[in-house]
Amino acid sequence: MNDRIKRMIDRLKVDKYPLCIEKFRLATQTLAETEGEPYIIRRAKILSNVLNNINIFIEQDELFAGAGASKPFGLEIDYEYGTWTQDEIDSLKQEQYSITAQEEAELHVLNAKFNDRNLVSAMGEVLYENERLRPFITSGLILPPWKGKKVGSGGGYAQSGLGLGPGFFLVGVDYEKMLSEGSLKIISQAQEELERIKDSNGESLEKQNFLQSVIIVHKAIIAFANRYAQLAQEIASTEKDSTRKKELERIAQACKWVPANPARDFFEALQSFWFTFLLICPSPTSAAGRFDQYMYPFYKKDKNAGKINDDEVLELLEFLRIKNIKLNRVSGKANRKKNSGMAKWHNWTIGGVTRDGKDATNELTYLLLEAAKQTQIPHHTLTLRVHDNTPIELMQKALEVIRTGLGMPAFVNDKSYIEFFRKNGLSLEDSREYIMTGCLDGNIPALSRTVSIGMFVVSLAFDIFMHNGINPNNDELVGINTGNVEDMETYQEFKAAFYKQLEYLLDLAGERNNVELLAQRQFFPDPFRSSLMKDAIKEGKDLLNRKMPFENGSVICTIGAINVADSLAAVKKLVYEDKKVTMKELVAALDADWTGYEDLRKMFLNAPKYGNDDDYVDSIAADLYKFVEQTLAKKDSAYGGKIITTAISITSHQPGGALTGATPDGRRKGEILADGSMSPMHGMDKKGPTAIIKSACKIDQDSYQATLLNMKFHPSSLKTNEDLQKLSFLIKAYFKNGGKHVQFNVIDKKTLQDAQITPEKHRDIVVRVAGYSAYFTVLGKEVQDEVIERTELNLV
Amino acid sequence: MENKRIHDLEEIKGFVFDIQHYAIHDGPGIRTTVFLSGCPLKCLWCQNPESQELYPQLFFSYDKCTGCGKCISVCTQNAISQNGSVVQTDRNLCKICGKCVTICPNEARTIIGKEITAGEVLNEVSSDKMFYQESNGGVTLSGGEVLVQHEFSCAILELCKNENIHTAIETSGYGSWETLKNVLTFTDLVLFDFKHFDDSEHIKFTGVSNETILENAKKIYHELKIPIVARLPIIPDCNDSIMNIKQTANFISTMLDKLIKVHLLPYNNLGEQKHKNLEQSWNGFSGTIPSDKKMNEITKILESYGLSVKIGG
Repeated sequence: MNDRIKRMIDRLKVDKYPLCIEKFRLATQTLAETEGEPYIIRRAKILSNVLNNINIFIEQDELFAGAGASKPFGLEIDYEYGTWTQDEIDSLKQEQYSITAQEEAELHVLNAKFNDRNLVSAMGEVLYENERLRPFITSGLILPPWKGKKVGSGGGYAQSGLGLGPGFFLVGVDYEKMLSEGSLKIISQAQEELERIKDSNGESLEKQNFLQSVIIVHKAIIAFANRYAQLAQEIASTEKDSTRKKELERIAQACKWVPANPARDFFEALQSFWFTFLLICPSPTSAAGRFDQYMYPFYKKDKNAGKINDDEVLELLEFLRIKNIKLNRVSGKANRKKNSGMAKWHNWTIGGVTRDGKDATNELTYLLLEAAKQTQIPHHTLTLRVHDNTPIELMQKALEVIRTGLGMPAFVNDKSYIEFFRKNGLSLEDSREYIMTGCLDGNIPALSRTVSIGMFVVSLAFDIFMHNGINPNNDELVGINTGNVEDMETYQEFKAAFYKQLEYLLDLAGERNNVELLAQRQFFPDPFRSSLMKDAIKEGKDLLNRKMPFENGSVICTIGAINVADSLAAVKKLVYEDKKVTMKELVAALDADWTGYEDLRKMFLNAPKYGNDDDYVDSIAADLYKFVEQTLAKKDSAYGGKIITTAISITSHQPGGALTGATPDGRRKGEILADGSMSPMHGMDKKGPTAIIKSACKIDQDSYQATLLNMKFHPSSLKTNEDLQKLSFLIKAYFKNGGKHVQFNVIDKKTLQDAQITPEKHRDIVVRVAGYSAYFTVLGKEVQDEVIERTELNLV
Repeated sequence: MENKRIHDLEEIKGFVFDIQHYAIHDGPGIRTTVFLSGCPLKCLWCQNPESQELYPQLFFSYDKCTGCGKCISVCTQNAISQNGSVVQTDRNLCKICGKCVTICPNEARTIIGKEITAGEVLNEVSSDKMFYQESNGGVTLSGGEVLVQHEFSCAILELCKNENIHTAIETSGYGSWETLKNVLTFTDLVLFDFKHFDDSEHIKFTGVSNETILENAKKIYHELKIPIVARLPIIPDCNDSIMNIKQTANFISTMLDKLIKVHLLPYNNLGEQKHKNLEQSWNGFSGTIPSDKKMNEITKILESYGLSVKIGG
């Protein structure tokens, strides 16, 4: 890391992030001026007004240009998602955000003008009028629970990025097209198509409007780049330092040329990419796709020509991380708690196989990892695609980054992801192009996108089933009456009744997703992103208004399924097989949150648990996951196709757990659920990492859009290169046997301190002390203290 | 192998005090390490004092004990007593029935070690086959001392070999050649401990002579031609003198082979704690953890004899 990067990283430490209203102001202005015009055209004009008029700046030391808000570190109020009320603004000001008094006053004026034309109120209209859906969406079976017709789950969004928000949907656009063809070519293609359909009667007005809007937004991005070219030139003209002057002139030249025209070198490609990315944002889930692949031809060309060296490329990639972390995001109070602050998932997918199945690793793959390792900046995210021939050196390089405690990259399995897309009808070649959009959600650039992901709390569905369809949190009937569990005589009967309840609730989840899909389609036509989808000009449709080659639009994500599997196993064993407890006693214990039933709780805690390579419970987990996926695969998505299932908890195992009562796996009411989807409940795996993997391999993960396995290691297991090599063998073994994803957390001092206080939650931490391994929680206090001390000093 | 022989081997019983999966410091690749109970040595610095006895033992985490006294009420031997908040178990009276373990609400009491069959060990070990295949790993028998339960060790190793699992043993080398030879019939790699080169010092620190040990090392390597990894526990003020390191290095490089890899295992004080957990009287040994500087110095000496050295297993 050079001095310039260090300086810029130091400057990242700011006290307050300014909330900005400039984008909101410009949008409101355009909306007033364009009353009566087709909505997609109005949206295009909003973007055009923003790109032509928003305040721009180039900061000290910056290597390429383009900011995501009107002020440095700024967040533009995202007017279309929800309204920022006074109490929400007040709460933001108490945290690390600021807004000037003048702008705050103007915000309320803008709010009134905008008059709640937002996604939440549109969905609220439909959901609150439906007798079955209202108790469903307020229950929190899909997180977060709705609090009111107009407020949704509460709060709005403020985010950096200049595109048309909100972009909660997950899309991989065709960056390659932007880099190799440029906006002028897209404009001319749209004009030709308009010309072609002008006289024909068969073509719809919709297509004409779409093409017009594509032309408007691409002209706008060119104008935006030209503004930066001019600004860079102006600053350069007064710059005294000759090196800096040259840098600014390089920016000016690049911005004059891209993204209008095809990029001619690595630097222009990077500048073009960045402008494109700024228009994909605001979105907490923007995907950069296979960056190491589409940037490679530019890198290679410059490298061969001696125009650039790896130190310069590394500096640019490190600066890219600095640029990325300046793209901020904040949501309402309730969501802030759920997502711990400024969470975002800007994912760069690296490695994997090429379209023809060869190893795709190249120099950029390594350099991107190195940039993360050196800067220690947590964004952007990296996901490494792994296949049978992924070089062990690359795995080791990735694990060196893991070892620093940065928590990335995540490792995903080509075989399982490719199989998922193949199952859904895509060709092998196209399937090999898959990328991570959002966290681990697979999509194919330009061929598919995900619009609604309902976070479905399976454990709450189980709780509702245990109460015969009633939501125990408010005594409202949310499900169907599947009978009193105390009357169920066999485990088969019990399980069948639960599955029936689950199927009904999943059905409602699918309906709720469809309401969102239709509202998104109505509110968020996005000509820029749409123009970078496959055959966009020929199709002439917005990306939310066309059936994609693979319809990945409606997704349901399971939360807490592992707790339910553990619960089913405990009931099967203790109530029905061993008959140690009656269902009546169990229900009483659960309703009492185990208070007064400590011995019973111990018994249920000791029942078979997922994560220990125990077929008894693992087969129940596998069956449950299969049932959810197969049930949803029968249900229609409003965009065509069927509902797709995924299983990544992100942070929802916390709010999901908060809504779920005590469960027969021994969990207490409100306690956090198992994280991820393939991870065991915390503290329940007692046989180490290989047994966890063996359990996870019994679940058919190929049918899922994504799964998530979190593993924890103490730094002492990651010390030498040999340790890292062995860990990469562990990953490869998992992936050869059906795993889809794994990521690693390096245990830190704080976790170990927590483990001293609540050992029952941390039974799985293994520490190695020179040739001897032990479970941390069984060690005596003195030794624990010493391990903690050594962890901090990284001596272990 | 014939089914009957397999069956007979699977029935052989022995005492195991731990089985660790994903062991990455006990030989090549990803391994499962089986810790067998019983050890004829009494090393002053022993890090696994729970392994010295063959039979299961009560392990008492005194810092988790709240002094609630529930264990006292269930003990049929009247072995447990309480003085203020201090709970003690008379190890002579305790029959390891486990009643106090079940009743303890704070998980302060566990039983270490259990009797299981070689077949059960094989099941546990072979469940990780997919990881051995990927990493060229396998099973490592450790202890205690694997030669103490040599029939049991032989059975496990033979069963593993029959399943094509790579086998390693970690041994002090202390045992009759006949016994060792039997165990080695089904062993692919030996992790051989060198505790001290000087015999009188060896006796002082471990309770036994190293004469047979050194003889056995030579025979394993030269007669049986089984690869050896030398493991040197580095215990400050016991065996970390330059003289001892040099003598050991000289023995390994001249009497065995320069190609032998040396693993240095720096002392840690786990054992001291565990003695308290076993409510044993402590031998008074108090070690310090060797500094990185010291470890590097020792590494350099060994390297000057042409040996390749790694710190940690």
